[in-house]
Amino acid sequence: MNLSFFDQFASPCLLGIPLILISMLFPTLLLFPPNNRWIPNRLSTLQSWLIHLITKQLMTPLNKKGHKWALVLTSLMMLLLMINLLGLLPYTFTPTTQLSMNMALAFPLWLATLLTGLRNQPSASLGHLLPEGTPTPLIPALIMIETTSLLIRPLALGVRLTANLTAGHLLIQLISTATIALLPTLPTVSLLTMSVLLLLTLLEIAVAMIQAYVFVLLLSLYLQENI
Amino acid sequence: LSAPLLPSAPAALRSLPPPVTVGVLHTARLLHTTQQCSAPLPPLPEKGGEVRLGLIPEEFFQFLYPKTGVTGPYMLGTGLLLYLLSKEIYVINHETVAAACILSVIIYGVKKYGSDVAAFADKLNEEKVAKALEVKNETIKDLETAIEQEKKEQWRVEGRSYLFDAKRNNIAMLLETNYRERLLTVYNEVKKRLDYQVAMQNLKRQKEQDHMIQWVEKNVVQSITPQQQKESISKCILDLKALSKSAQAAV
Repeated sequence: MNLSFFDQFASPCLLGIPLILISMLFPTLLLFPPNNRWIPNRLSTLQSWLIHLITKQLMTPLNKKGHKWALVLTSLMMLLLMINLLGLLPYTFTPTTQLSMNMALAFPLWLATLLTGLRNQPSASLGHLLPEGTPTPLIPALIMIETTSLLIRPLALGVRLTANLTAGHLLIQLISTATIALLPTLPTVSLLTMSVLLLLTLLEIAVAMIQAYVFVLLLSLYLQENI
Repeated sequence: LSAPLLPSAPAALRSLPPPVTVGVLHTARLLHTTQQCSAPLPPLPEKGGEVRLGLIPEEFFQFLYPKTGVTGPYMLGTGLLLYLLSKEIYVINHETVAAACILSVIIYGVKKYGSDVAAFADKLNEEKVAKALEVKNETIKDLETAIEQEKKEQWRVEGRSYLFDAKRNNIAMLLETNYRERLLTVYNEVKKRLDYQVAMQNLKRQKEQDHMIQWVEKNVVQSITPQQQKESISKCILDLKALSKSAQAAV
């Protein structure tokens, strides 16, 4: 199994059957179903506590109409969290490193928030394009800038997630290759590199959780503006 | 199965041919995620299954014990690992190092924070149970307080007759006092009238007396003639002279 650096980013395929769907749905297998009991076991308790925490965090700034999005945003958060964290294990494929998947998540959701805003409160939605208190000569330029920033949001959402995770995974691979290559010749330097790798692993765990959170948080912010 | 659901379907759905309606209704039913059970569930076991090295269940070791003794599974594991490595079925590449790192991080995290997380989960459950117990205990306490108050009210009812007696006495006293005050008033009024009559009589008497005295004096003064007056005056002068003589003689 001689791997190149980019084998981990190749969409998994077994005998010509694309496994991407299974690999995307796999994290859901690890989540426990809601238990019938009133006092469940520890894992169920912790999982429901986590989901409650996430939902509360996301829904507090939203008004009542935004609470319809609770299921979408919470499940998105759990999915991204699990996919990112599982991707740190060796020999795993992380679906969120694929730009296609992230754009497929970001673009429709962003468009949904935009269309909700334009449909229900069009003038308020368009009003977001101009910050308060701008001097009059700047208004045309600012409108163009704000429109560009609005239209680039889905791209930013998708690419942010992709880039962060891909870069992280690639870095891990490069540094571990360096460690292995240096091991016969300069063991001490190899050990130093190993310590760098440990720190990087910690960073990657943090990044995995933060990026999932940021994705969902930004979506909820866009929703707040528009609902 | 589908008969009770049909009447509750919207009119648009009912216009479709029956198999389609029923099919849509069946798929639109709520998905039961857990089995419905009204009986109390058996309690969860206290501890999870025994595990060695964090991965391999104890039953595996027990399974191999009769044939290979205590060291059997470990030999199996080591042999398997060495076989995979030597035959290059598992190639050591950069992923191995990355695997070593992430696994060491995970094992460190579990060992260090595992018990804390378990305690936290237990605390969450304890709080849930405690909240329910709290409700129950508070209700019991409230009911007990209500019972005590009810008993006190019943005790109070027994003393009702004393209360009424005291009230009755009060009222009787008030009536008595009022009656006596009015008697006094009557007495005073009558006395005033009688005093008036007595005073009137005294005044009349007095006036008659005065009048009589005056009349007598007037008549006496009138009866004194001038002749009598001269005689009495000269007599008086003679008496006075005699007296003065006797007085001078005395001196």
